[in-house]
Amino acid sequence: MAKIIQHQLFYPHPPEVVWEYITNQELISQWLMPGDLKPILGHEFQLRAKPMPEMDFDGIFYCKILEVIPHKKLSYSWKFGPGNGELCDSTVNWTLTEKDNGTELLLVHRDFAGAVSPLILTSMEKGWLSNMHKILNAINAEKDGAAQA
Amino acid sequence: MEQHRLDVFQVIADPSRRQILHLLSKDSSTINSLAENFDMSRPAVSKHIKVLYHAGFIEIQDIGRERHCILKQDGFKELNEWLAYYDKFWGDKLDKLGALMNDNLNKK
Repeated sequence: MAKIIQHQLFYPHPPEVVWEYITNQELISQWLMPGDLKPILGHEFQLRAKPMPEMDFDGIFYCKILEVIPHKKLSYSWKFGPGNGELCDSTVNWTLTEKDNGTELLLVHRDFAGAVSPLILTSMEKGWLSNMHKILNAINAEKDGAAQA
Repeated sequence: MEQHRLDVFQVIADPSRRQILHLLSKDSSTINSLAENFDMSRPAVSKHIKVLYHAGFIEIQDIGRERHCILKQDGFKELNEWLAYYDKFWGDKLDKLGALMNDNLNKK
């Protein structure tokens, strides 16, 4: 079971510019979602999306900066859950590499292992099968992503 | 065996069985190494594993002389659905980021 999400893209802009877009909340709000991210090691912040009760998701991603190497690397924890204090863990890692007068951006969202299982078990306890149908419906209905605040 | 007829909720109502699923969600494991995590006897652990097997949560493969327990993926679609969700989510967002940068920077 793959437990890693990876996207690699090339942007025709220098790493300093791309860095600004992934670390300046004012800009982040324009393409990702509102919140209070600051690229400071240990800074705790939230990113806010639309709640999806069908997916046991309260709409808030709880994050903490784990690594900052300006213009090169940014990592933060990415926790999510139903809003009753039970959170699933994961980490989001951004790597910027200067290439061909632009930037190669690598996004890796991983470390779900062992973290999503509490969610699975919680959902199972609530009604495993019916929940799965709701989740599928939610995904089908949410074609535009979670981040429409 | 009467346990075969347990429904899915009865199967996961037992904390030991939930613990076994937790352990297997991290990695597949032999019955012996699973048993090391519990105070109960190996036959007792084996009995829980049988219940999970018959309920369709896990698969059991004989590798050499060891019996390996593996979490069955179809019972855990939900994790895959979250992963599929995030995969599409980031794909869309990163496209949006590219378009936003192009709009903002090429105008200047």
